[in-house]
Amino acid sequence: MGQILQLRNISKTFPGVKALQGISLDLQEGEVHCLCGENGAGKSTLIKILSGAYQPDEGGEILIDGQRVTLTPRLAISLGIQTIYQEHIVFDSLSIVENIFAGAEILRAGILNRREMSRRTEEVLQYLKSDLDHGRKMWELTSGEQKTVEIAKGLVFKHRVIILDEPTASFSSAEIDNLLEIIQTVKQSGIGFIYISHHLDEVFRVGDRVTVLRDGHKVNEHAREDLVKSRLIKDMIGRDPSTFYQREKVEIGEPVFEARNVCGKGVKNVSFVLRRGELLGISGMTGSGRSELMNLLFGAQPLDFGEIRIQGRTVRHRSPKDAIRHKLCFLTEDRQTSGLFLPQTIAQNVATANLVNVKKLVVRPSGDVRTGDAYVKRLNIRTPDSRTRVVELSGGNQQKVVLAKWFNTNGEIFIFDEPTHGIDVGSKQEIYQVMVDLLRQGKAVIMVSSDLPEVISMSDRVLVMKGGAKVAELSGAEITEENILTHSIGDSAI
Amino acid sequence: MNQAVAAERNPGERSVRLKTSLFSRHENLTPLSIFLGFILIIVALQLYTQGLHKYPTFISPVNLLNIMQQVAVPGIVAVGMTFVMLSGGIDLSVGMLASLVSIIVASGISTWGLSVTVSIALGIGAAVFLETLMGFIISRTKVEPFIITLGGMITFQGMALLLSNSREVILNGELNFCKINLIEGAKDPVTTLNLVIPPYVLLFFFLILVGGLVLRFTKFGRRIYAVGTNPHAAYLAGINVKNTRLSVYVIMGLLVGIGATMLLSRINTGIVTLGQGLEIDTIAMVVIGGTALRGGKGSMLGTLIGIFFLGSIGNAMNMLRLPSEVQFVAKGLVVIIAVSAGDVSSKVTGFLARRKDKAAARRSIAI
Repeated sequence: MGQILQLRNISKTFPGVKALQGISLDLQEGEVHCLCGENGAGKSTLIKILSGAYQPDEGGEILIDGQRVTLTPRLAISLGIQTIYQEHIVFDSLSIVENIFAGAEILRAGILNRREMSRRTEEVLQYLKSDLDHGRKMWELTSGEQKTVEIAKGLVFKHRVIILDEPTASFSSAEIDNLLEIIQTVKQSGIGFIYISHHLDEVFRVGDRVTVLRDGHKVNEHAREDLVKSRLIKDMIGRDPSTFYQREKVEIGEPVFEARNVCGKGVKNVSFVLRRGELLGISGMTGSGRSELMNLLFGAQPLDFGEIRIQGRTVRHRSPKDAIRHKLCFLTEDRQTSGLFLPQTIAQNVATANLVNVKKLVVRPSGDVRTGDAYVKRLNIRTPDSRTRVVELSGGNQQKVVLAKWFNTNGEIFIFDEPTHGIDVGSKQEIYQVMVDLLRQGKAVIMVSSDLPEVISMSDRVLVMKGGAKVAELSGAEITEENILTHSIGDSAI
Repeated sequence: MNQAVAAERNPGERSVRLKTSLFSRHENLTPLSIFLGFILIIVALQLYTQGLHKYPTFISPVNLLNIMQQVAVPGIVAVGMTFVMLSGGIDLSVGMLASLVSIIVASGISTWGLSVTVSIALGIGAAVFLETLMGFIISRTKVEPFIITLGGMITFQGMALLLSNSREVILNGELNFCKINLIEGAKDPVTTLNLVIPPYVLLFFFLILVGGLVLRFTKFGRRIYAVGTNPHAAYLAGINVKNTRLSVYVIMGLLVGIGATMLLSRINTGIVTLGQGLEIDTIAMVVIGGTALRGGKGSMLGTLIGIFFLGSIGNAMNMLRLPSEVQFVAKGLVVIIAVSAGDVSSKVTGFLARRKDKAAARRSIAI
């Protein structure tokens, strides 16, 4: 096995920040090299250097097959380095074949040679044991299938290095299995992978080698044989991981929210009760109707049948406006597209959801800034003051702005949809602490999550969903990984 | 986490923030500085070529008041356009709608025998009704406002032609109360020409003030910004996105109605060409003022700058006796330069900051 890629002493300085300092790493043929590290550790910068988007500082060297190269995006691709970013860059309305060959179409006499392109795509899809039809449009595919297509692209063009940045961020566990299997298959053909993930489980399953970055430095490199999970976490965050998933229990009070036989788009007959000081975990595979249920409860989708009771009174939510008036808060999964007003300031963002409760005609921007500043302090948002635009903040801090926006409405019932999705280990813990604080104040939390350890360690009770219906409600000692999985995959449950 | 804090509090990063913050925090600064630069050039040019002569110059009071009269009507419509564009919409129909309103009001007075008040109410009412109709379609469907209002523009032109039998409707000065001189007898100290401030100039200032206050100090204003920035997030934050988007067109209708009546009073003739190009001028004014076409960014103060910017360019070029063909080219270029200047200046700032950092890094290596 030969060495494809080598980085020597790579540094990258941005105005005022040293994003990378003296990184050296290499990639062998047929190897999966994982990069781990918290957000801001320098993983993304490293990828951008590899894909030619950034140039390293002087003194750094990139070698491909032993040859020194200066990468540009175009050169990187022609040398066979393919980067698959976290956010899919796909042409939604084009087919799989058209996406794979976009910009590199095969021509015959100046006209697209559709048959040849389809043949090559089909060949690769078969090799990947995928049953996707090559003529399907991208928007019809799940995010897992879209990733498969992008890897197929690497095979079609015989790329040598495939870089995967957080590929499984929105995957169900079946999709993760599928992707990891594909990687195992593809690496047999000699393609090297650079695999970036927050999910240590995945790293353990596919990684041949693991490099840990922290603050732009390479902390450690582990070979597969001597990987130890707790050691890896220590490398990443530099603190003791034994405190990681331990939650303080809070006394549970009277019922505050109740759903009775709720039906709607993608949801069939779900009932549950939520009490003060209680955290109800909602588990299930992607597409099991969890987010749909939340939209229904929050009034963002019409309720076809059933009843919602808040503090013993039946309520009807015609729109989120009513839900907010009834003290509901909904922290959506995708904060950038549905939770934040990115170009606006923290103060403006925080003020927005509470407009529902504002009775006054005149609202003062200076008042918003005062409120905003108070939340900046309380939630430890790292910025000089609340006049900063949200777009300038990092992911973890943006999540805190979303929290501030909802705290400001004086809500009682908090719905968190994938609260720690794409967030580093340290920020995760801060979010958990916030949830526990809410419970301690006698509020109630519903948490939708795909992260099983998170569901298990945080929930007082777990509702398992499958195919839009509730298939199990677990509490106490019943909440185990095995139980949840059996119910959500579902052979034995029905 | 502690390391991340350290990285974010890096002093270098902070200094970069400060460098860019003046222009990025005060978004009106870019158009304002270009505008002031432009005025300076004109004034310098004039002083250099003509000195302080006894005929109207660009900065003479009589000309400044003249500019205000010229921009008042497009200015009133630009207030509405600011609302529409902040909410993420656009309205191409305002020009033809203004023509239609002028024909309705003029016909009302001279052919249908209605009183002046009723005619004006009818014209403004029609504008509000038609804009509401368009706003209803725009807010309840996913069709682009560009398309709907383009359709509206063509329809209104047809309606105006039908109503007037493709002719002009002439008034006998029934609307002159809109343009009486409020400072009768005041003279320009240099040229001794009469100074004129008609009521519609005051109305323009009043409307832009009210518009600015509504945007900045009311719940409604906040909602417009929220809807323009991110409609989905706005919906989930409890904002009635549909009605917010509808309401900006209703406001637009009201302002077009008022603006068209003022325009009619100046020209005394209801004719289909009256509002021609009004949509282009008002969109240009709003855009020069820093309002983004995609919505959510901009302010009434920016629009005010844009209004006077575009208005004084036309005026200045008249003073310099440039032919109208040249004026079109110059006006177009100014729009392009004014709008891209903000982006260019941030690029330049970024480039300078990077170069300085590079130099600092080199020095640290040398040591």
